[in-house]
Amino acid sequence: MQNQYRLGIDAGGTFTDFILADRKGSVRIFKALSTPNDPTAAIRNGLKLIQEETGLSPEQIVSNADLCINGTTVGLNALITHNGAKTGLIATRGHEDSIEIRLGHKEDGYRYDPEYPPATMLVPRYLRRGVAERVLSNGKVHTQLNEEDVRDACRHFLREGVESVAISFVWSVLHPEHEARAAEIVREMMPNVRLTVGSQLYPQVREYTRTSTAIVNAYLAPILQRYVEAVDAYFQSLGARHPVRYFQSNGGLALGHVVSDQSVYAINSGPASAPQAALWLGEPWGMKDIITVDMGGTSFDITLTRDGRANVSKNIDFLRYRIGIPMIQVETLGAGGGSIGWIDSMGLMQMGPQSAGSEPGPACYDQGGEKPTTTDANLVLGYLNPDGLVGGRLPLNVEKARRAIKTHLADPLGISIEKAAYGMFTIVNNNMVNAIRRVSVERGYDPRDFVLNCAGGATAAHITALAREMGIRKVLISKLASGLCAFGQILSDVKYNYMAPVAARLEGADSAARLNVLFSELEDRGRTDLMADGFTDERISVRRSLDMRYVGQVHECTVDIEAFEITEAALDRLKAAFHARHEELYTYSEPHSAVEVVNVESAITGAVDKPGRMASAPGKGAHSALKGTREMIFTADGIAHETPVYDGALLGAGDRITGPAVIQEVTTTIVIEPGWMAELDASAVYVLTVAADTAAHQRTARTVEVV
Amino acid sequence: MTKRNVDPITLSVVRGVLETTQREMTLTLEQTARSSVFNLAHDYSTALFNHTPEMILQGQDIPIHLGSLIPAMKSVANFFEGDIHEGDLILHNDPAYGGSHIIDTCMYMPVFHEGELVFWTVCKGHLTDIGGPVPAGYNPNATEIFAEGLRIPPVKLWDRGRPRKDVMNLLLTNMRARRDQEGDFNALIGACQVGARNLVNLMKKYGKDVVQDCIAELLDMAEAHMRKLISDVPDGTYTGTAILEDAGHGYGDFEITATVTVKGEGCHIAISSPPQIPYFINSYEGNSHSGVYLGLMMFAQLPPPYNEGLYRCVTTDMGPKGTLCNAKSPAPHMNCTTTPMETLTDAVRLAFEQAAPHKVSASWGHANGCNIAGWDKRHDEEYVTMVLASIISGAGATAQADGWHAVGPECCFGALTSGDIEMLEHSYPIIIHRYSLMEDSGGAGRNRGGSGTCWEVEPLDTPMTLITFGEGRRIPAMGAAGAKSTLVSSKVGRLEVTRNGQTQIITDNVIETIQPGERAANKNPGGGGYGNPFERDVQKVVEDVRNGLVSLEGARLDYGVVIADRDSLTVDHEATARLRAA
Repeated sequence: MQNQYRLGIDAGGTFTDFILADRKGSVRIFKALSTPNDPTAAIRNGLKLIQEETGLSPEQIVSNADLCINGTTVGLNALITHNGAKTGLIATRGHEDSIEIRLGHKEDGYRYDPEYPPATMLVPRYLRRGVAERVLSNGKVHTQLNEEDVRDACRHFLREGVESVAISFVWSVLHPEHEARAAEIVREMMPNVRLTVGSQLYPQVREYTRTSTAIVNAYLAPILQRYVEAVDAYFQSLGARHPVRYFQSNGGLALGHVVSDQSVYAINSGPASAPQAALWLGEPWGMKDIITVDMGGTSFDITLTRDGRANVSKNIDFLRYRIGIPMIQVETLGAGGGSIGWIDSMGLMQMGPQSAGSEPGPACYDQGGEKPTTTDANLVLGYLNPDGLVGGRLPLNVEKARRAIKTHLADPLGISIEKAAYGMFTIVNNNMVNAIRRVSVERGYDPRDFVLNCAGGATAAHITALAREMGIRKVLISKLASGLCAFGQILSDVKYNYMAPVAARLEGADSAARLNVLFSELEDRGRTDLMADGFTDERISVRRSLDMRYVGQVHECTVDIEAFEITEAALDRLKAAFHARHEELYTYSEPHSAVEVVNVESAITGAVDKPGRMASAPGKGAHSALKGTREMIFTADGIAHETPVYDGALLGAGDRITGPAVIQEVTTTIVIEPGWMAELDASAVYVLTVAADTAAHQRTARTVEVV
Repeated sequence: MTKRNVDPITLSVVRGVLETTQREMTLTLEQTARSSVFNLAHDYSTALFNHTPEMILQGQDIPIHLGSLIPAMKSVANFFEGDIHEGDLILHNDPAYGGSHIIDTCMYMPVFHEGELVFWTVCKGHLTDIGGPVPAGYNPNATEIFAEGLRIPPVKLWDRGRPRKDVMNLLLTNMRARRDQEGDFNALIGACQVGARNLVNLMKKYGKDVVQDCIAELLDMAEAHMRKLISDVPDGTYTGTAILEDAGHGYGDFEITATVTVKGEGCHIAISSPPQIPYFINSYEGNSHSGVYLGLMMFAQLPPPYNEGLYRCVTTDMGPKGTLCNAKSPAPHMNCTTTPMETLTDAVRLAFEQAAPHKVSASWGHANGCNIAGWDKRHDEEYVTMVLASIISGAGATAQADGWHAVGPECCFGALTSGDIEMLEHSYPIIIHRYSLMEDSGGAGRNRGGSGTCWEVEPLDTPMTLITFGEGRRIPAMGAAGAKSTLVSSKVGRLEVTRNGQTQIITDNVIETIQPGERAANKNPGGGGYGNPFERDVQKVVEDVRNGLVSLEGARLDYGVVIADRDSLTVDHEATARLRAA
């Protein structure tokens, strides 16, 4: 860090988190209410709050900051509420409907549901215009672009008041000239419109994915543009020395104009910084294989890093829209503190995805909520302090929690309230474990090889139970856990993805040469972009990935490789990496079968200096932090045991606590199950490990294979 | 609460693990299979069975496979009874052993616990080819099953862990596109292994007995659920008759009748159909189960999970052996999973419409699609595939909502995916000129049926064989609750072949050769509407016209709404009121 401060601002659904780090390693979290209707208002409010608490004016901070980073949900909110720009699509004639046909599929789980609605069209059919033009799968032009058709479309869009236009043609990735010419015409006829060109935004094979990605981008671009302009102007008025960087779903930072041109990169940025934070926390121990779980009020987000790299998803359905661009894989489950326990039509107990939210909230909040939630269960189990959450600011009503559980679950199932509460805890954990499989087992990774990292306010009550279920033996909980994602953003580097289609079999010198040229071109562009942003060569690094498959397969495996020269001999290395990955994922490989590459991608990163590490003062022994005891339940029989409770604020480095126990932090409660041991590290991180000689360990060892 | 004293919490956990297991099997199939029917189109299913064998979880896959895996698994277990060992793997496709059609190939893996058979992991997938005279299996000229491809009665592919190379070679030698077939067999095996691995782990964690008790409980709970739904229906006998079009066999249209007798918590579904014919639309008993169960589910409208307990209170009678819906060897049958299955489903759902008018879905568009085959000069190899994009029809409307566009056909109920057109052009030497919704194709109703699709293709540089199958080219998808369309021609399927500027409309199942420069457009029907179309909200009709889903003529004829022109979209309210009153 070259300057005094680094400021991170991460907008969430309810709160906007502010992280202020200084060169000496102090990191502070502040929270202001989010203001979805005027997102910049939350930024002003937050900076005012920081001034009240620290005496530092917004100008002092911003003009002395090496970086101001903003993670925003304006794009996400516009997509959720369908409040994007009025958008038109220009497509190859005959293919205007691919985004409404959606590959002919209805989402699983709703097969016989008579009310489940189709996805809302971001571009209704009357704003999708076909033009005569066609490129073939070999890249040759079959039909020249009819420019008059493009003009007709523009006239139609002008009449309809379209603000944003997407252009996406079949096989444009092999011959971008038609899209480029159509774009010229649109710019000429509609100079004020935002324009998204499919082959430029997402130059990869798959028309439906490309068109859909372009449409989402076009739909959000005017919204992001207005937002970015407002934020940039505000920070300039505060004397910012450097442009604001925006956090993207690919886990990296970007300049404002990139985010408004490529707005689709901003849609799920919130949880995408978790891997960065996880790696930072794990670094002192050399941990690179980390699963981060983040449980909030309504949802549970999971991310994973393997060998220091985050799982990346491409070509996925996000909020029912197909999106191609690489995003950090975030599995989201409707499981949070507010998740409601209920009995389904078959008579089975379920948890979520319905949530009591913050209004009326869990029954124990005593704000009119009557349904039993995860938080109510945790309270009845004794994990949460009845005196209240957030340092007592939010008192909890145990009787209300018990009544809700009794009425809705325990009585109908004929079991005790305590058993039902432990059942709720078990089922919500199990839902989370099944979701964790989606980032691990389904990606070919064994979760037992990972460290579990805790993020979000509600996670720490579940973290040892989750680790036990997964067979994971080490857990990290940072003192910053409740704001870990915002913290992750200020640790992140600038990152852009560059892609190209290939569609070639991996055979012979030609295919090697072609890959080499493609990668070089992509990376030259990346270096140029980053150097223009002030990065020197030694700060720039490259990671490559290839989407590969056996000839005849239709889905690809993404294989990550280092940057090296691809010679004919090196093709064997690529193939070997692919066979290994296939076997990891699907239990088998076919070493004798031909392999082809469909798409390639280079992720170019410009490294940013990291802030200093937080430090914990040496401890005086855990006993000095003991606050008292509470009755807690750790077993399915619902029997309670007197269990010690510690004040996290009084613990210091080296202090150790053996489970069962609870550590109360101001913004979170850590439940240490029997068989686990916690130690506060000098870097302000609790490290939880399985106490090797306990009965619980034997149970873990016996269940390691388990789901 | 439960007679087995099953812990309700463990029960929920076991249920979650079964669903996760099924999901991971499905994912393996989807990601690794070669055949586009498989991996693009999702034309496969996975299921878990217990030792009895009763189906303990059916994936949310294709309804075609919904019922037939149940009798098939029982036949296979029965065939090898006393000779099932750890490390065995069984392959089967024959409808005489409960299979649907022979191109749907099933893999069965027994799962053992301490030497005892406890589970089966099963998956079924539509291969691209199964040998026989016509690529991709659909042979409209077949008069016997022997002219359709290779029948595989239950056969061990692995014997106590030893792969039987000779058997695999025998099978592959008799199929086209050997490389793809071998890859698909690997995918099926991979999925079974993934499933087995998870079930073994589940038993390690909770113990075999607890897991089995939980599963028995889940089956009972599903049974109780269906019993409750049926007991809500007044006792009585309800009948539905649907018409099966003559799509080229020359025997004329047929009627299929379903008689549903509801008594208390149970029901009996009896099917009556004409004698089997020497044409590929005969359905063996296993496949007919799928049709009956789909009709039942269109009434039950249940959320997952699905298991065999649902059907315990439902008895069936498919009619005498040797009839269209209870065929016997050597009846040709390749088309059975769409035709007559969809008509059979319609008959059952119509009967339920009488019984429970408040829980009705209109019929979905039936499948009438094509397979293509030829030579790929780019790689000097043959190609053959079913084109799933060619059967994507419209969904039926429900009492609550318009039907979805482009999620059919009825027999697949939204489970298919049609594949990216660039991926199809990459895999096969073809040009897809159009893949679009179609104006006026959704059935008229207070709630409109979903739009059907058009898939238009031209071979790139070599002649292409195009084989059509299915029906729904003359009679549109049936509406419900009084829905009725006036404009019919745009709501039915057809094949349009354009040669030298001349377009020929084909409504029979044919084998055509399409040359480069010629085009074939396969059009699929929309779904049926719900309720009186003259009661449809006028503004909704205007929106449909704005979006090109309904023409001005369609608005007037089908909905009694008079709109001046497409640009202004001005409604002539007087004329509309007059038309609607008439």
